[in-house]
Amino acid sequence: MSRVFDIFRFRQKKTPLHSLDPRAKFAILLALSAASLAFSDPFSLSLLLLVEVILLKIAKSLSELISSLRGLTSIMILIFILNYLTLPSGRLYTSIAMSLRFLSLATAFSVFFLTTTPDELSTALEVSGVPREYTMMFTMSLRFVPSLARDLQTVSDALRARGLELERGGLRERLRNYTYLLVPLLVYELRRSLMVAEALEARGFGAVRKVEPFYELRFRAKDYLTLALSCCALLIIALLHLTKVYSVFTSELARIIP
Amino acid sequence: MLKEEAIIVKDVYFSYNGFEVLKGVSLTVRTGEVLALMGENGAGKTTLIKHFNGLLKPQKGRVLVFGKDTREASVAQLARRVGLVFQNPDHQLFAESVEEEILFTLRNMGYPESRVKERCEYVLRLFDLDKYRQRSPYTLSIGERKRLAIAAVVSHDPDVLVLDEPTAGQDYFNKSKLARIINAMKMKGKGIVIVTHDVEFAVQIADRVALMANGRVIKVGSARDVLTDEKGLRAARLLPPQIAWTASLLIQKGFTMSRIPMLPGELYFELARMLDSRGEGGNL
Amino acid sequence: MPLVELKGVHFKYAGSDEYSLKGVSFSASRGECVLLVGPSGCGKSTLLRVLNGLIPHFYEGDLEGEATVAGLDVRSTPIHVLAKHVGMVFQDPENQLFLSSVEREIAFGLENMGLARAEIKRRVEETLRVFGLEELRYKAPYELSGGQQQKVAIASIMAMEPEVLVLDEPTANLDPLSALEILSLVNVLVKDEGLLTIIVEHRLELALKFATRLVVMNDGRLVFDGDPRTGVLFTHRLIGYPPVVITYNLVRRRGLTENFTPLTPEELAEVVAEACSRRKQS
Repeated sequence: MSRVFDIFRFRQKKTPLHSLDPRAKFAILLALSAASLAFSDPFSLSLLLLVEVILLKIAKSLSELISSLRGLTSIMILIFILNYLTLPSGRLYTSIAMSLRFLSLATAFSVFFLTTTPDELSTALEVSGVPREYTMMFTMSLRFVPSLARDLQTVSDALRARGLELERGGLRERLRNYTYLLVPLLVYELRRSLMVAEALEARGFGAVRKVEPFYELRFRAKDYLTLALSCCALLIIALLHLTKVYSVFTSELARIIP
Repeated sequence: MLKEEAIIVKDVYFSYNGFEVLKGVSLTVRTGEVLALMGENGAGKTTLIKHFNGLLKPQKGRVLVFGKDTREASVAQLARRVGLVFQNPDHQLFAESVEEEILFTLRNMGYPESRVKERCEYVLRLFDLDKYRQRSPYTLSIGERKRLAIAAVVSHDPDVLVLDEPTAGQDYFNKSKLARIINAMKMKGKGIVIVTHDVEFAVQIADRVALMANGRVIKVGSARDVLTDEKGLRAARLLPPQIAWTASLLIQKGFTMSRIPMLPGELYFELARMLDSRGEGGNL
Repeated sequence: MPLVELKGVHFKYAGSDEYSLKGVSFSASRGECVLLVGPSGCGKSTLLRVLNGLIPHFYEGDLEGEATVAGLDVRSTPIHVLAKHVGMVFQDPENQLFLSSVEREIAFGLENMGLARAEIKRRVEETLRVFGLEELRYKAPYELSGGQQQKVAIASIMAMEPEVLVLDEPTANLDPLSALEILSLVNVLVKDEGLLTIIVEHRLELALKFATRLVVMNDGRLVFDGDPRTGVLFTHRLIGYPPVVITYNLVRRRGLTENFTPLTPEELAEVVAEACSRRKQS
């Protein structure tokens, strides 16, 4: 399961997408996720997915998507089954569409997070007027996800080394086993947050309200171009819906496919 | 005491996230002796010891624990014979009292209920923790927490004890206490593996030393052979023990020694001999 | 004027019954490297935290006595003001590096000081150069080795140009060679920049040779404050002897009259070689 989160973790690479301004990339994310939600037929969603795959290819990050595909597929199957069992009609068609929608949403977010450092993100937020306390909180929560995962692993290893079988027994026994795991983890993370807070204080955090960030965000020609393209895409999606073109298209499709 | 081959590691490979951490490691752990596993961070030491109780299974090669292939046994089964203590006690303690912490392991391991109390008592005394019986583990000092983490793992009397960095961040008192406990367990015929950077601690208590670098065991042998081999130590990013270092400096200055000493007493013996002979019959 | 001055400092953590510091008086000036040692729980870390204002501003409790750092009263000066004068490096690099590149990590403290971007850039460049971190500037701190991480932590603090550097067991998680590199780096800062450093460290065999002064604590009090060569002879009950000092004691008992306690293998070899040649001549 931990592999699923790999598609949202930043990787340092030198690609045109990585060097875009985070705000321009945010516009892409907005357009892609709007499209994922606006379209509800397998064909449009597949087309959208193709666009996203091309973007990931440009970002040299296709392998990350592939490596986490196993985890994603299990969620897709779950979505498919849930839809299939609960829908009154057009079950196959809609169930496939819903699974695809999940995949294209996940991929849209991965295009953004794989290519944007938490620092760029927090700088972008800061420049947009979000207070530094909040942007730092955001940076930190991303920063400590791997540490938390590692602590969890160590705590569970340590308990297993003392003969605890986490997966054994009925539901109640298992729940109790997991509380054994939770106690040291919570205590440890509390200690960690104290250490982190001390280190932040030692670096003078919180002294000045308005700081000048080290990284300068500059909107260049390619960022404007990206922004413009994303806006166009958003506009087209809106038009397709407002003019009912899309609903005519889907109802035609529904007639062909059961 | 007869030494038995407790854990046999045969040409083990292990990769994690596409990164090869162990590249063909072979090593034997025997009962009745202390083996120090040394080397820089990231050399693969922790990955290797997690193979000793089956937390990790070799992707290639084999690990035999008292003749049993770890791939055919559960961690719970292997943990009965191999106790593994991690570096940070805070990752390992969770019970409401010191006593509960010991009882937890005993009950998990299916220790006979009639003897649980007695055994718990014995372990608390061995680790000098009996006066804290009812205290919460979180209120103990760092040294006491470390001892409790070890006590909790050895409470059911496993044959092999594996300690990850037992001396890191420990003061002089706690280090000496740990050395005494480790020696006592060795005398009882236990096999002990310590993963450590602490060369001076290894000098004090190790019988054998294995040096690791880049996922391989680069040297293994008696503590004296390995810890006086300056080149091997540097390859594992370690410094020679102070005494061996002094001796090699003296040898560079033209002094002769019958062998490279490791302990202060041994160096003193060589020095006294040297001072005597150079001092034309003067008696030091 | 001393850079750090404590007079009769007592401190009790809020909610605790016992004082952690029981009347500590201590002063130190530029260019000193103070090694602070003692059993765990003796109050070393508490003392360090008084120096950078974490006590009493972050950890509450009863602080009595006088504590001034760089002429500022610790009690009435906020932590972020003290942070410009006292830098603190902690044991675990993981919990003091937060950002996704080395250069941003170094810039972080400077941003917090409210400096202009041009000045931040200048200091980041200079720090990268001085600490030899230019090649790692775009690397994420978590990709680095423990030794490199601790170096980045020290660099990030030194970029803020403090006069006092306080290190709380900076090498506890490092292999010996990396530990030696970090301590040598600190030594250079003391020598070249006239920094005052106060290091808490359990590994005497590595740290002693860099210390210009040894301070031994026990149970909230200073029990020794002075020359390391004298200190190691009298405080071994608390901190143990490094192996070279044990050997020196053995040899001295047999008549080697040298009033210079060696702290390193180099020095012990020197002392012995000299004694031998003297004996030969006599």
